[in-house]
Amino acid sequence: MRIDVFGDTLCASVTAAALAQSGHEVCWFIPEGRVLDAVNEGRVPYREPGLGELLGEQRAAGRLRCEPMTLNGAPAAPAVFLALQPGAQALAGEIADWLAGSGACGLLVNQSVFPVGTSEALQGRLAEARSPARVVALPETLQEGVAIDSFLRPHHILLGCDDPQAETLMREILRPFNRRRDVIRVMGLREAEFTKLAISGMLATRLSYMNDMALLAEQLDVDIDTVRQGVGSDPRIGEAYLYAGCGFGGSGFSRDVMSLTDTLRSKEVSAKLLEQVMEINERQKEVLFRRFWRHFEGEVAGRRVAIWGAAFKPGSDRVDNGPALKLIEALWAQDVQVHVHDPLALPELEAWAGGHPDLILHDDPYQAAAEADALMLVTEWKQYWSPDWSRLRDSMGTPLILDGRNIYDPDYVRGQGLLYHGIGRG
Amino acid sequence: MLPDHFSAAERPVRQALADHAGKARHWHLADLFADDAGRFETLSRECCGLLVDYSKQRLTGETLDLLRELARARDLEGWIRALFEGSDVNWTEARPALHWRLREQAAAAPEVHDQLARMGEIVDQVLRGQWRGCHGDAITDVVNVGVGGSDLGPLMASYALADFRPEHGRRPNLHFVSSMDGSQIAPLLNDLNPATTLIVVSSKSFTTLDTLANAETARAWLERAFPDQQRALMRCHFVGVSANPEKMSEWGIHPCNQLLFWEWVGGRFSLWSAIGLPIALTVGMQGFHELLEGAREMDRHFREAPLADNLPVILGLVDVWNINFLDITARAVLPYDGRLKHFPSYLEQLEMESNGKSVTRDGTPVDYHTCPVIWGEVGSNAQHAFYQLLHQGTQPVACDFIVAGRYVPPHGDAEGGEHQRLARQHRLTLANCLAQSRLLALGGRALPDDQHDQPAFKQYRGNQPSTTLMLDELSPRRLGSLVALYEHKVFVESVLWGINPFDQWGVEMGKVIARDMVPVLETGDGLDGLDASTRGLVRRARS
Repeated sequence: MRIDVFGDTLCASVTAAALAQSGHEVCWFIPEGRVLDAVNEGRVPYREPGLGELLGEQRAAGRLRCEPMTLNGAPAAPAVFLALQPGAQALAGEIADWLAGSGACGLLVNQSVFPVGTSEALQGRLAEARSPARVVALPETLQEGVAIDSFLRPHHILLGCDDPQAETLMREILRPFNRRRDVIRVMGLREAEFTKLAISGMLATRLSYMNDMALLAEQLDVDIDTVRQGVGSDPRIGEAYLYAGCGFGGSGFSRDVMSLTDTLRSKEVSAKLLEQVMEINERQKEVLFRRFWRHFEGEVAGRRVAIWGAAFKPGSDRVDNGPALKLIEALWAQDVQVHVHDPLALPELEAWAGGHPDLILHDDPYQAAAEADALMLVTEWKQYWSPDWSRLRDSMGTPLILDGRNIYDPDYVRGQGLLYHGIGRG
Repeated sequence: MLPDHFSAAERPVRQALADHAGKARHWHLADLFADDAGRFETLSRECCGLLVDYSKQRLTGETLDLLRELARARDLEGWIRALFEGSDVNWTEARPALHWRLREQAAAAPEVHDQLARMGEIVDQVLRGQWRGCHGDAITDVVNVGVGGSDLGPLMASYALADFRPEHGRRPNLHFVSSMDGSQIAPLLNDLNPATTLIVVSSKSFTTLDTLANAETARAWLERAFPDQQRALMRCHFVGVSANPEKMSEWGIHPCNQLLFWEWVGGRFSLWSAIGLPIALTVGMQGFHELLEGAREMDRHFREAPLADNLPVILGLVDVWNINFLDITARAVLPYDGRLKHFPSYLEQLEMESNGKSVTRDGTPVDYHTCPVIWGEVGSNAQHAFYQLLHQGTQPVACDFIVAGRYVPPHGDAEGGEHQRLARQHRLTLANCLAQSRLLALGGRALPDDQHDQPAFKQYRGNQPSTTLMLDELSPRRLGSLVALYEHKVFVESVLWGINPFDQWGVEMGKVIARDMVPVLETGDGLDGLDASTRGLVRRARS
């Protein structure tokens, strides 16, 4: 089938590539900007494992075409996917108008994260223009770092759909990704949009809850990681999203939660819990800084700190909203020089820092740590899990390890002659 | 050399004024307006974004001519020069009064701008959430501990300008603690988190008992929260503002956290210095510089404008006329703007502590009134409190009405429905301000004809004089001009009265006797030396 995909989000790129791979003839329309430039220059628009290969293969096979976005070219495909940036509702409206005029399209699939009710509004807009096309909501549930896999082998698919024919067509398109068992959960348009935000809100709440527990654990001198395993073994709770750490980041997660709090507020429903969740998270992003500050009793000016990992999660090159940024700002404000290593995210970090003199980027993690008064582990890239402790101990100015992801064994690290603090580990 | 307050030229002017006042006592404002259609044009002036209308005062152009002659006989112009040349206009303490230097530009006052820059660094760290408590938490609450000039000025201006956000960052919650008895600080500390609280201890001498008692309480509270972290605690949680760095250090303020001002600034004139830290935290450094700029404009006006157009001079002369020639010994300050809630108490200190004096430079007591009793309240609230007395009581009272002509929405949301509503409320307030000053001035003659046949208890006598100060808008810059206007007016009056506005010897002795009273209350010893009343009260308090 011919399918058009609109947008420059990670979701758009993965959707376009994965649908092409399953045999569709896909045209990916990309709005002007960074992503379009990258695609035009033959670069991979997102540092997402497997994405470059998949896009390359599908373009080479001729099933995927990448085009600058235009609304007056060829007539629309029978199915059109929208994976636009958050806030781009106006653009979504324009695309809907174009579809209505173009005639051929029967299905508009909205994957964008918009306020609850946007898909319904798009449906209304199409109906007004006497278009037969139906709108369905397919909220993206991609996890950065494993985005391809989470599209190809989804654990669940939320489908907002009020029309049996549209559902049949959607099921047909999703069939290759829905094989082992039926993971599609059909609900109303609004319910699907809201469910997506509610999931993010719940996950964020779990994380902030654990971070609050970590604070308490520290006071009570118990190890939150042991507690986490115990809590997670209760089947009513489960293991996921229980890690205490130095805060979650990324665009998607925090954005969803903020969108949800905005929605609650706009309906004059108190958003106190979620506001707290976000506040705890913002506070948590500075937890390593506070440890560092306390260790030196506030006398930190002129010191040097190493940060391992700037990406908001392993596998990503993105730094937005991540704890590293807040940490670096806090350190800069106290005249601390920051040395950073990250296997992927340094270019993004450099662009964000805008040439700040107190940021030094390193290709080698040990060089970053040399002479440092503290090493902050912020992103748990695999390569950081088993460092050469004696080398760190001997090369650091103060062998102070601040483990923002609780990936090290406190006793072992201390046994190697280093100072260790994790999150909620006494 | 200071100019002379008294000269031979004064006697005939004073006599002429007394004769003129003999007639003026029989004037009614309603007649003055009826007789002169151009009264507003003649008797109002505008500068620095302020329109000052004194046409509702019981005077004429001739009155002001005579008052200016009196001012010249008192060498007012010489005294203004002396103030700005840095002569020792504060002669009882042998020092100049250079508060105007605090608003000069960097080239003219480098030491002032050094301190402003240091204050700017602190403000920037706090607003960006980068001033850290001793556990590394961002400061969210700032408590200003000070009294008198270290409290009233910053409190007044921070409250007045709360609509104006800093250009960047997040304003901390501001709290003011002044009272000696702990009734303010104790409940406040209960609500605050020590990890995120910064205490600003403001005291020119850094020996003020009230302030140090509160600061000690705050320190003990922090020490309980962070035992064994004395050094970090002082560095992270205390900023000191004072003219006395030795005392600050002695008390434990970290040298990096000491902001200085100077002996040549009187406490009640000090909100322009680092004492204004809470103001800068409210509006940001840019806003603070705008405040200074507004004051600087008024300084220039005061130095340069001829007496006939000089706002501080005119207001000073009007006050002198009311007190010394019309015998009106009370003045009410009535801002029609909730944001100026603390302006009356600020002015009470500025005017009464400055000019509540009665001895001239050569030590002779004056034989005329000086500063009147000043009190005030937000006008629209005062209408429901003491306006009854203004309208129908027996006391003549002069009033200052202060109001912003235009309402500017705080967040640039000029179209929103909320803005429309607030603009309507502002109009309502302005209408009340104008209506009240009109009724006070004209009495029953402000009313339609059919209202004139009222029983006596419903009648309005009128003839209460007032001045209306209309600000273009209540902004940092215009507030700066307004405050500087009053500062200079106070100085003008002091020249006309031949007194020193820059000392406050009258408040010193009370502190000393209070110190001696403490052991009497503690032990009950030393009662014999006291008067019967105090003896009785001590016994009761101790029982």
